[in-house]
Formats: sequence, structure tokens, C-alpha cells
Amino acid sequence: MKEKLNEILMAAKEAIEKAKSRQDAEDLRVRFLGKKGELTAILKSMGSLSAEERPLFGQKANEVRAAIEKALAEKAEMLKKAEQQLRFQAEAVDVTMPAEKQKIGSLHPLNIVLNDMLEIFQSMGFDVVDGPEVETDHYCFEQLNVPADHPARDMQDTFYLTDTLLLRTQTSAAQARTMEVTKPPIRMVCPGRVFRADEVDATHSPVFHQLEGLVVDKGVTMCDLKGVLEQFAHEIYGPETKVKFRPSFFPFTEPSVEVDVTCSECGGKGCRVCKGSGWIEILGAGMVHPNVLRNCGIDPKVYSGFAFGIGLDRLTTTRYKISDIRLLFENDKRFLDEF
Amino acid sequence: MKIALKTLKRYVDIPVPVEEMCERMVLAGFEIESIENLSDSMDRVVAARILKIVPHENSDHLQICSMDVGQSEPVQIVTGAQNIFEGALVPAALHDSHLPNGVHITKGKLRGVESNGMLCSGEELCLTEADYKGAGVHGILILHDDVPTGTDMRIVLGLDDVVIDFKITANRPDCNCILGVAKEISVVLGTKFTRPEPSYHTAGGDIHDLIRIDVENQELCPRYIGRMVQNLKIAESPDWLKHALRTCGMRPINNIVDITNFVMLETGQPMHAFNYNELAQKHIIVRNARSGESIQTLDTKSYELTPEMLVIADGEKPSCLAGIMGGLESEITDTTTDLFLEAAKFKRDNIRRTCRSLGVHTEASGRFEKGIDINNTGYAMERALQLIDELNAGTIVDGAIDCHDVLPTERILTVWSKSINDLLGVDIEEETMVKILNALDLPTVCHFGFLTVQVPTIRDDIEGRADLAEEIMRIYGYDHIVGTPMRGTVRRGRMLPERIKTNKVKSTMVAMGANEITTYSFISPKACDLLGLDENDRRRQAVRLLNPLGDEYSTMRTQLVSSMLTVLSTNYNRKNESVCFFECSKRFLPESLPLTKAPAEVPTLCIGLYGDDSNFFTLKGLVEEVLHDFGANAYYQKSAEPYLHPGRQAEAALGDDTLAVLGEVHPDVLKRYDIGTRALVAEVYLDRLFALEQKAPVYQPLPKFPAVSRDFAMLCDRELPVGDLQNAMAEAAGKLCENIKLFDVYEGDQIPKGKKSVAFSVTLRSKEATLTDEQIESASRRILKKLEALGAVLRQ
Repeated sequence: MKEKLNEILMAAKEAIEKAKSRQDAEDLRVRFLGKKGELTAILKSMGSLSAEERPLFGQKANEVRAAIEKALAEKAEMLKKAEQQLRFQAEAVDVTMPAEKQKIGSLHPLNIVLNDMLEIFQSMGFDVVDGPEVETDHYCFEQLNVPADHPARDMQDTFYLTDTLLLRTQTSAAQARTMEVTKPPIRMVCPGRVFRADEVDATHSPVFHQLEGLVVDKGVTMCDLKGVLEQFAHEIYGPETKVKFRPSFFPFTEPSVEVDVTCSECGGKGCRVCKGSGWIEILGAGMVHPNVLRNCGIDPKVYSGFAFGIGLDRLTTTRYKISDIRLLFENDKRFLDEF
Repeated sequence: MKIALKTLKRYVDIPVPVEEMCERMVLAGFEIESIENLSDSMDRVVAARILKIVPHENSDHLQICSMDVGQSEPVQIVTGAQNIFEGALVPAALHDSHLPNGVHITKGKLRGVESNGMLCSGEELCLTEADYKGAGVHGILILHDDVPTGTDMRIVLGLDDVVIDFKITANRPDCNCILGVAKEISVVLGTKFTRPEPSYHTAGGDIHDLIRIDVENQELCPRYIGRMVQNLKIAESPDWLKHALRTCGMRPINNIVDITNFVMLETGQPMHAFNYNELAQKHIIVRNARSGESIQTLDTKSYELTPEMLVIADGEKPSCLAGIMGGLESEITDTTTDLFLEAAKFKRDNIRRTCRSLGVHTEASGRFEKGIDINNTGYAMERALQLIDELNAGTIVDGAIDCHDVLPTERILTVWSKSINDLLGVDIEEETMVKILNALDLPTVCHFGFLTVQVPTIRDDIEGRADLAEEIMRIYGYDHIVGTPMRGTVRRGRMLPERIKTNKVKSTMVAMGANEITTYSFISPKACDLLGLDENDRRRQAVRLLNPLGDEYSTMRTQLVSSMLTVLSTNYNRKNESVCFFECSKRFLPESLPLTKAPAEVPTLCIGLYGDDSNFFTLKGLVEEVLHDFGANAYYQKSAEPYLHPGRQAEAALGDDTLAVLGEVHPDVLKRYDIGTRALVAEVYLDRLFALEQKAPVYQPLPKFPAVSRDFAMLCDRELPVGDLQNAMAEAAGKLCENIKLFDVYEGDQIPKGKKSVAFSVTLRSKEATLTDEQIESASRRILKKLEALGAVLRQ
């Protein structure tokens, strides 16, 4: 009897080994382990054994059953893997074929740069305010220490709508508006569109964009101005960037400076972008002119402040190496898709 | 302000290379526009003497010259010129030389005879008669300077010099002159500055016997000085003077005119020379022009004058446009014998207005417009007389006529030195401040920490602490300003709600695949016609610019559609297959015209697209998403925009407010904008959208019970809006209605004419329990009943 069991085991193992499909394996399960299977049949004949032999035989039979089951399971697993493998091969795709294009739009490059700038200044505690594009003479010039016959008005060719209404030539107009309604401490930026009667060419546009910054408080110094601009330059151009002040003139600040940063292209060594100087001019700034503070009802003996004006278009064209400012207003889809 | 280095060195010691001087001037507030090295213009051109001339055997016009070019051996040069002679000193361009006209000279053979260079004409050296006497003749330039052979021609011509163009900021009119710039250089470099001290001989007589001066309008002419010079000897100016003028960009004319121009360049005070003999009644009247008067000026142009313009008239007529340009009639010519010399101050805005209205701008008028110092007028006159005396140009009559009111005097400022340091955030010693201010000709003393500064009238830009701080700092050096981090209360900056909401609109548009565009705020008035707007359409009431760059940019836009169509057209014509654009910008809507107050600036979203099988419903989808972002569940109804397809346009409304207008562009408008494909545009009125109350979303529990779907296919009139059917069904299903989805609209075969087939899938669900068959049946019956009421019949 024992031999019979061994024969069954051998036969089963051999058959399982040869099985080619999951169906084959299932058939073998029925053949050996099913109700009418070979192992069942031999167990039914157990009655002919002695009481001593029976438990031993039973144990042996169970071992054989377990061995067959295990072999079947292993075979089944193997076959499943093989079948899956075939399926994977059949279903394989050419990964170099083009993707299904997702439709995602883009912000205009000017606004990408603006958003970066606003994020930097907001994180430094600057409120973002907005002013009208049609300004009055009063806010655009007079409050900013540029009276009617002042030579500084020659610096900007203004578009007029009436004798007193004009298209703002600078976001500085927002300075006066803010100071008139806000008590110091003031810490604000005002981004926006500005206008000057410049003929259109590669570097000039009658419509362009600025970001004005203003801080007024007790004890504000020119070193604070430099600190803020350094922080800004580090965020925009990288932490190694250096900031340099050059004296200049604006009617609404005194002292006034032009602000240069080390050229982001060459790191200050001198290259084509910075025309060999190692520096790029990025903005004008200065300490708020005492007349401007006074005009807006703030006592310059108590408060001081600084202001700066950044040209957004220039910052955008240098950041993305855009050679012609007109591209910003042409709105060719291929251009816009680059950002 | 262009000045030659040689000219500057007459007034200030410059012991450093020109580049270093320029760099240091930049750090003191004087930008350098350009540095032009005159000697770059030519090289290897020398003064050479013709030793011998032999005719060329194979030519009837060429001559072979043996030249002494300052080398040990003579050099042979062949020339075609006929005006040469043995012993003449001429410019010779040697082998491998460069001429100012860009020509490179090398040796070669002329008809078989070796030529080691070229003899030059005045023209070849880019010289005119005014630059060098004899330069204008046809042929080789014969030099009249006695220089050794081999002398570089750049030295002969004074081209061994550098011209620097300083940019003078508007607050420093005192630096629009050589003395002003030289003074600054001396402070920046810490070197000696020499200001000429005028002195001259006079020849007796009395000006009062020769001329009478009346200043009728003292407001426009606060100072007028007149002097007389007789026995004029009009001649060419000396080389230094001609060089100084030329390098400053002025043309030398004759000694008298050159002196007046030079004194203006040197001192900043414009001067004018009148031919005394031409002055009627020997009377100078500074007055406003009379209506109908005219003048012919030095440039031979004639101008009609108006009474706001100031003139210098003689006893009969205007003789000079005050401060701008002299009259042709009283011009100084070679035969002029007597000179009336003027130095005056004219009011700058009057000069500016006259210049603008006549369209004339001169070196003189530019200086008056920027502002000159009334206390410098006398010095300039003295300086001019000194030069006349030095150059022997005439005899100076005793006496001056100087018309002015009380002259302003220096301003005294007292400022606490600490307050200057406080403003700058630095710690500059009082002594350093005093030293810097004194060096800048701002006499300063310091007592108990207080600076007392005398500010001369020439520096009327200096009004107080901030100005003194700037003067000190630009000399002390801005590199001493060291950045300090932000101080004060820590909080994040705020943003206005409108900007936050606009950003939300932009994010949504970008997420839906649209590119943001940027266009000008001013457009052509023709845009209204291109859009086909009615004569009385409110959008034609646009604000016009008084001084636009051109008609194309002359009105503030009252709609964004035309800019969008222009951009769509650009893209279409550049063969960009499909685009979807948006712009968030402002419309400028005047309350009334002419403007009495600033126009309303209304935030507006414009969407434009073509290609990609986009249609009205693509656009509607974009608009709807934006409206949904603000919780606006708008209804859509037909609209009547003239620029849109009459059958494919709608307005999205909420209550009585139109939130958006959208549709396919009218074919006529497409044609006018040269767009060869169907395009769609929408304007969304963000002001109205932003005004809607915003509520944070409230969580709705997810459904617990299953939903049931029922399809309804029906026939109805072609004209019946699907939206009406949908609303009716929703109303009928009431609370159980979860969703109604249109899945088919069909007209054509098997559908009676004038009818259409419409099919919906309706999803029903209850929040409380699984729907019973009875509930479903009842809802379906209610739906059918409502549909029948609208004339829709269920299809079998």
C-alpha cells in the first residue's frame, strides 16, 4: 500500500511537471485529489489495513496529498506568471511615441515675474496696493515735488487726457495716494501699468510696467533701503548677488540713487549682457523727499522713508533673455507657450 | 555735456587715466554717456615734406614724389594731385595706415612704379575749411604749421584728445558748463581747480552815450547786462578755442561769435552778440512781441511771433528771439565794426513755451530752460570781455548797463549733523562733512554739532537736510551704505480683494489651457467701426489722448474685444493652428465727455479662441467655469452684440446683471480683422462678478443610497430652447433631481420639419432612502406632464 502511495506521488509529480496550462493543472488536481481521484480511491481501500497500520498509512497519505497540493500550487503560480508575462509582452507600448498633449495655459511672462516679486515683498511685510492708470496731475507730479514748471517734467513725456488728467508716467503716483490715507508705519508696493510718449522700438514701449515700493516710519535710513533691495536681489537673482548704489536724481527722493546689481549672467566678471561692466541697472530709489512727505501730511521731522521703482519689463526681458520688448505685446502663441 | 580732456585740463588737474576719472565721476552722480578717443580716427599719417617731384613715365597725370617723412631715408610716394610743389609740407599716409574715412592704405605699384603710401587731401582726412585752413581746396592739403617732418597728423590737427560726454541730471543745471564739470572733477579727485579771474583793458568812452536799454518785462527778464566793443577785428579764432568748440559739438565761425559760444560752454551763461550798426535808434528794448511781428533768425528761417514771446527789439523791430536765437539782420559778419554784447537771464518756462510753439531748440535755449544762475551773468560778461581783449578782437568801451531788481543772495541752512547721519544710517564725522561741503563751494562751519552752510544761488537745488545728505554721501561714497535687514512688526503683506480675485480668474483660465496676453490700453478709434458698433453705441464714447503717438494709439479702450481680435489675427496669419487666449485688463468708461473727472476703470476678462474644433459651447464652458468660481449660477439668453454672429451669441446673466457676453465672431468682423477661420470671443465683467457675495463651500455629505437613471427622448418645436426643457424637468423632479444630462439633439431624416428630437438622461436620488418604484414612476410622470405642457412629445 505504501508503495502505491509513493507511486501516486511520483506519477503526480511527473504529470504536474509536464502540465502546460492552468487547465492541465486543474485536470491533474481532479485526477489525483478529486472525489473520484486516485488518492481518494486508495484511501477508500484503507479499511483492509490493520488497526496499527491505519494511522501510519493515514499520516503518509496526508503527506502525499500535501505534497501534491504544494506541487500543484507551485505549478499554478508558475503558469500564472508565465501567462501574465505573455500578456505583458503582447500589451507592451512604444514609450517613445508622443504623449497625449495636456492643455495647460500660461501666465504672461510679465505676470510670472510680477507674482515672484509680490511674493518676495509680501513676505517682507509689504502690502500690495493698486492705483488708477488715469491719474491726476496732482498725484502724478505735484504731490511728488514736481511742480508745473519744474525741469524734471522734461524727463517724462506724458500722455494727457485733459489739462489735469493724464496717464500715469510712474507708479510713484500711488505713494502720495497711500500716504494721504495711511498713517505710518507704511510698507507697501504698488505694481502697475505706466505710460510714456516713447516711440515703439526694441527697448521702448509707450506702455510698460513698474513696481513702486514705499516705506515710511520713524528712523528709516538709507541702509534700510539697501537692506530691502539686497533681500529682493538675493531672491530674484541668487544669494551671491551684490547691490551697488550710484547717485542720481529723481524729484521725489533725496538722496536719490540708481541701483545696480552684479550681472546674473557673468556674476560680475563682465560680459555682453552687462556690456562688460559686471553690473546691471535694475531700479531707481532714494529717501522720500521731505517735500513729498509734507505734501501728504506727514511730518518729515518725525518720519523718514524710502521709495523705489522697479521696471518690470526690463526685469522680464533680462530674466528670460528676450531680445525685443515688442515680443511682450505681440502675444504670439509660440512665444507665450515658452513660459 | 561733451567736453574734451584737453579743455578740462585748462581748469583742473587730472593726474589719473581718463577711464578712472570717469568711473569716479559716475560714483559721484555723473553718468558718462560716451568716451570718444579722437586719435582712434587715424593712424600712421604724418607731416611730410616733398623733396623732389619726377613725372611718371607711363602716365600723363601721375607724379613720383620723394618724401621726407622724418625717417633716415626718403620714402617714394606716387600721387595724382597737381597742386603740389617741392618743399611743401603735406600729410602722408604711410604703408599700413588708417584714414578717418575708414580707408586702409598699403604700399603697392601705380603703373609699375612703387608707391609706399598716399598723400592726403583735406577731404580724405575728413577736414573742412573751418577745421584747417586750406582743407577745402581741391588737391593735397598743404600744411601751414611749421612742424618737424614725421610729426603725427593727430598732433598737428589737435586730435590727440579724448571727448567725454557727461550726463547732467536735471537738478544740476550748474554743471551744464565746463567750469561746473571741472569743479566736480576737482572735488572727486581731490585736485586743484582754477577758475579764470577776468581782467581786461578798456579804451575809455561811455556805453551810455552809445546805447539805451529798457527792460519792459522784468518778470521774463530779471537781469540784462549790455556792453559795447568797438573797432572790431573779425578774424579766425585761435586753435585752442576752435578745438574747444568743436569738441563740445559747436562749429567755429569767427572770433566774436566763437567767444560768445565758448563763454556759454565755459560758464553756462548764454551770450549774444549784436551788430551795433544795425540796431535802429541805438535802442535795446526787452519786450513782448507785438501781434503781427515776425523775425528772420540766424538760420535764415522766419517766424511769426505772438505776444507771449519775449524779444530783444531795437527802436523799430525785434532783433533777437530772447534767449533762443539772434536775428539775421543784426548778425556779426566779417565787416561788422561795432558790437553790442548781451548777457541776460530769461525766465525758463517762458523760453520753454516759445521754443515749443516755434519748434526751435538751441544750446542757449536749452540752458535757459534748465535754469541759469542770475548771479553768474556778470561773471560771464567779464569773461567774454577778457577773451575779446586777449584775442585783440576789439576795443572795450567803458561802462556797463546792468538792469535788474534786488538780486537774490545765498541761502543759509543750519542742520544738525546727527540728523544727516540718521537719515543715511551711517556715522560720518562732522569734520568730514565740513570738508566735503567746503570743497563743493558750499561754505560750511560746524558749531556744537550743527552745520551752518551758505548755499550760493547757483545751487538752488539745495534746500535742506536731505540735499546736504546727498552732497556729502555722493562724495563720501555710497559704498559706505551697508544694508540692514527689515525691522519692525512682523506680518505678511496684504493684498486687495480685487487683485486676489483677479488672480483666481487667471488661475482658472490657465488651468483650462488659455494663454494670458498683454495688450495696450489705448487703441485706434477705428476699432469701433471694425466691430460694427452703432453710431450711438456707448462704447464709442471713449476718452481721447490729447497728445497720442498716432491715431492708432489715441483712445482709451472701452472694450477689450478689438485688442483680442488683433491678437487672434496676428496668430492666425502666423499660421498658429489653434489658440485660446485671455486678458484681464481695464476698460475706461467716462461718465461723460468731455471729461470732467477720471473715467471709471472697470476690470474685465476677455477670452478669445479659434481652431481645435472649438465652438460656442467650448467658449460657454470656459465662461461658465469662471462664473462658477464666484458662485454665479448664471442663465444664458440670446444677445445682440453687433460684432457677434446673430445666431451664436448669448449673455450670461444673474438677476438683472449681465455678467458676460459671449459668442462666435460675426463673419464680417472676422473679415475686417483678416481672420480666416471661425473665432470666438467673450467679455466677462469682473466688477460685477467680484461684487457677488463669496461664501466658503459647505461640505455636502456623500450620497448613501443608490441613484436611478431614466432616459427621456422627445420631439418638440425646433425653436424651443433646450434650457427650457431642462428647467422644466428639474422643477418637476424636485428634490429627487440629482442631474439632468442632455445626450442627443437631432434634426433631419425621420423628424418632421420644424421639429427636433431631444434626449436627456435624468438621475434621481433621495438623501433619505433607496427610491421605490413608485417614487420613480411618480417623478417620471411629473416630468412627462411638464414636458407635454411645453409641447414636447415623448418618442416611442
